[in-house]
Amino acid sequence: MIKNYFKTAWRNIAKHPFYAMVNMIGLFAGIAFSFLIGAYVWGELQVNKHLKNANNQYFLKSEWKDPNMGNDITTFGPLAKTLKDDYPGIVKNYYRWDGITSVVSKGDKHLREGIQLGDSTLLSMYGFELLHGNAATALVNPFSVVITKKMAVKYFGKTDVVGETINIQSFTGASRDFAITGVLNEIVANSVTHLNASNQNVLFIPTNTYEYFGRMSFDLWSNIYTPSYIELQPGASIAGLNNAIKKIIHENAPDGFRGNIEIDAIPLSEYYLQQGGGVVKRMLYTLSFVGLFILLMAVVNFINIAISSSGHRMKEIGLRKVLGGLRSQVIFQFLAESFISVALATAMALLAYPLSAPVFSVIIGKNIPTLTSFPLYFMLIPITLVFVLGLLAGLYPAFVLSSVNTVNSLKGKLKTVKENILLRKTLVGFQFAIALLVLISATIVTKQVSYFFGKNLGYNKEYIVSSQVPRDWSPAGVRKMETIRNEFAAMPQVSSVTLSYEIPNGNNGSQPPVYKAGSDSIQAIAMQALVTDENYLNTYQIKLKHGAFFDSRKLDSGKVVLNENAVTALGYKDASAAIGQQLRIPRDPTVFVVKGVTADFNFGSMQQGIKPMIFFNVTSAVIHRYLSFKLKPGNVNESIEAIQKKWAALMPGSSFEYSFMDDTLKKLYATEMQLKKAAYAAAILSLIIVLLGILGLVSLSIHKRVKEIGIRKILGASVHNIIMLFVKDFALVVTLAAMVACPVAYWIMNKWLNNYASHITLSAAPFLLAALALGMLTLLLIGLQTVKTAIENPVKSLRTE
Amino acid sequence: MLLNLKKIFKWVAVGGNRTFLLKDINLEVQEGEFISIMGPSGSGKSTLLNVIGMLDGFDEGEYHFLHESVHKLKERQRAQLYKQYIGFVFQQYHLIDELTVYENIETPLIYQDLKSSERKAMVADILDRFNIVGKKDLFPAQLSGGQQQLVGIARALIAKPKLLLADEPTGNLNSKQGEEIMNLFKELNKEGVTIIQVTHSEKNATYSSRIINLLDGRVEL
Repeated sequence: MIKNYFKTAWRNIAKHPFYAMVNMIGLFAGIAFSFLIGAYVWGELQVNKHLKNANNQYFLKSEWKDPNMGNDITTFGPLAKTLKDDYPGIVKNYYRWDGITSVVSKGDKHLREGIQLGDSTLLSMYGFELLHGNAATALVNPFSVVITKKMAVKYFGKTDVVGETINIQSFTGASRDFAITGVLNEIVANSVTHLNASNQNVLFIPTNTYEYFGRMSFDLWSNIYTPSYIELQPGASIAGLNNAIKKIIHENAPDGFRGNIEIDAIPLSEYYLQQGGGVVKRMLYTLSFVGLFILLMAVVNFINIAISSSGHRMKEIGLRKVLGGLRSQVIFQFLAESFISVALATAMALLAYPLSAPVFSVIIGKNIPTLTSFPLYFMLIPITLVFVLGLLAGLYPAFVLSSVNTVNSLKGKLKTVKENILLRKTLVGFQFAIALLVLISATIVTKQVSYFFGKNLGYNKEYIVSSQVPRDWSPAGVRKMETIRNEFAAMPQVSSVTLSYEIPNGNNGSQPPVYKAGSDSIQAIAMQALVTDENYLNTYQIKLKHGAFFDSRKLDSGKVVLNENAVTALGYKDASAAIGQQLRIPRDPTVFVVKGVTADFNFGSMQQGIKPMIFFNVTSAVIHRYLSFKLKPGNVNESIEAIQKKWAALMPGSSFEYSFMDDTLKKLYATEMQLKKAAYAAAILSLIIVLLGILGLVSLSIHKRVKEIGIRKILGASVHNIIMLFVKDFALVVTLAAMVACPVAYWIMNKWLNNYASHITLSAAPFLLAALALGMLTLLLIGLQTVKTAIENPVKSLRTE
Repeated sequence: MLLNLKKIFKWVAVGGNRTFLLKDINLEVQEGEFISIMGPSGSGKSTLLNVIGMLDGFDEGEYHFLHESVHKLKERQRAQLYKQYIGFVFQQYHLIDELTVYENIETPLIYQDLKSSERKAMVADILDRFNIVGKKDLFPAQLSGGQQQLVGIARALIAKPKLLLADEPTGNLNSKQGEEIMNLFKELNKEGVTIIQVTHSEKNATYSSRIINLLDGRVEL
């Protein structure tokens, strides 16, 4: 019996290949997309779940009263260790690190790599596996280093490199060999070695080497730059931990910090999803919803086409009933068809996965798990999917089709089932609304993303290339760097060069609290510090509002420059009122004098908006990281090559790893770029599915109305009239869908835009544009399909009787 | 003179050989005539009617309708011409199932871009004349065959055509209904509508003023 069901079902599918194709492609696209999204979501949920004792692993997150005071991913250096020492019943273990980048050399290879100065517990606490070396001793001796497998292959071409040495530069211009004591096996995504995009660390060095790199001791309470992790004792309560943290901070934290910081222990298993204000989580939700809706759209196509094409089946249904088929058996017959369609589409989606996954990985810029990396019980997912989707798509058509009157359908009196036109139109409207929603969102996201890169930056990003320089953070080092800078500036391809610690990528070195000299230090305002030379404004073409910027006469000791925001924050009337004013930083005896005021510009992501900023001169602050080049317009590749040559000559042993400002910004807005690409993918998919649906419906409608078209033509209808006949069917639906989709899109996009301190204003344009585009596409599709029938000689269509 | 066919040939090419559907048809029709085209199945009656109605083309010959040379016209102009001057009646009625009686009759006027008020008046007029006012909101499926054909004729006449083309108008009707339709034709003809009908029935042919016999695409003299 069941075999018979499937046999007839298959024949029916095969008999109408066009509709079967429309159905199948739609379902395939929907299911394949859902698989990809599902895999991506699963992959993201797995981050940190594979660490040893993952459920007891915690990350110590700082919440500052004033977010400008400190970074939320770092805390007091000694905190985690003190917790373990004082409360061994609660805290089983701890791990802290300090992230730096430096030039790593072996032979002629000089590359800048992410280095983690960390506790030796790294190798025991999380279950990271050493391919070579002894986990117990690898991170004990100073100047030893554990590297990842990839690094070993990159520098040595093999993995067994324990006992070899590798050269690492310090920040004072020195460099020395480190002994490789361990090689880590492939590490899956986690928040210990890869806390965030700017901390992708691949070399691990014991904490006792901090002095070589000029870093702060992990034992100083004034060191608030230490990402810290702890592992709870099995069964220990989080409340106990929180109390312990409070008590320790109260006893140890320096003045100025004590009341201004709260530490929140967050389970590592959750940390990844909620970091950065829940960006990852939001992305997962967004993608999941998009995937779900696209899947539903494909299901709607199936329902609509199944019902509309029922005309072919009337006689069959009647006959089955006459021959003694029960209604339930007819229902089952139709369900068999939807199961076959969904199963085929699912199978295709599975087969396509190995091909589509890499493409999708590129689109969203994250690796997607391969099929083999899923647990075995995931096999149940496609099977469940076939059943659920099969029922969802098949149930309604099956009930409607099986309810037809037997006698009438046999006599051929019934041409179609009594369709619930309203329902069908609602379903089509739903598809349109979703497609439109996605389209509008994609347009607005695109606009906002180009806004990030547009004129509102406040500086000119064109032709700017930056590269990190070897560090020698001493007055002599700065003098040397300035000479090098001047050499570069003299090149014909370069219009200006600046030496600085910060480039406008959102990462700045410190956020000092600043207050007016003579007032109370409690009123200090946290500002973003920028350490630059005198060419910074020039190179980035930032406007000077008042006063003067640093100059090259070396007389700028104790002079600072503010941005307009800082002027307002400090309470000066205007830029001119700030000039010559004295400022101070708590616990620093220096009295700074305001020399100039610059216009505001976006130093970091527009999400946060422009903060108060204070410029320090690199000759007195001595720290520096970047040389930024403003190239002259022309052949950029040749200019880069020329700089590269000069770089190699001026700074042997360091590499010119340059990045255009555009690429730097792309990194800064990685999530948004990812969202934009995902929105494009979703827009294209939903368009395909909605247009496939229309294709199927219109073609069925034409099929049913061939006679009517013939008559109308004889009565004098033009081709245009005929096409409009079909367009009319959809025009109202599209209009209604637009009326629903636009407010919803407005609400969602407005909410999204409000995440950004600086954003585009929503105009009617993207809404109209998307609605118009969808309308035109639909019109075109209907036109193309109808025109053939409309042109055809009516004599032919009427003769079919 | 209403229309004039000169040496009309129409054929289909089957494997290099021409099978003639119409062969050397010469026909002159004056205004006010009532013509029956007769002949056995496959003799080309309907084809001829379609050619006259400009629904179908021909391969050779000339066709003049009023002052226009139909063979020289583009399709759009031809459509313009028949839309204005010709009404069609079919054996299978060919009403649009989804439209009511009223809407079916109104459709040709919509395609002639008449104003809604004008259309209303004209449809009301013809509904009245054909005594089907009470049925105007019914759908074709709710009518008998005779009534459907009546609606079909009303629709053919709504735009006040000079020429009514009918392809076996009574073929699907019983004899009483058929007779009513033929009487109606006679009456319309008296009012000045030129009628050309294709029929198998000798009896129906007696209503007409001239009979043209076709055999294998030729006019039998």
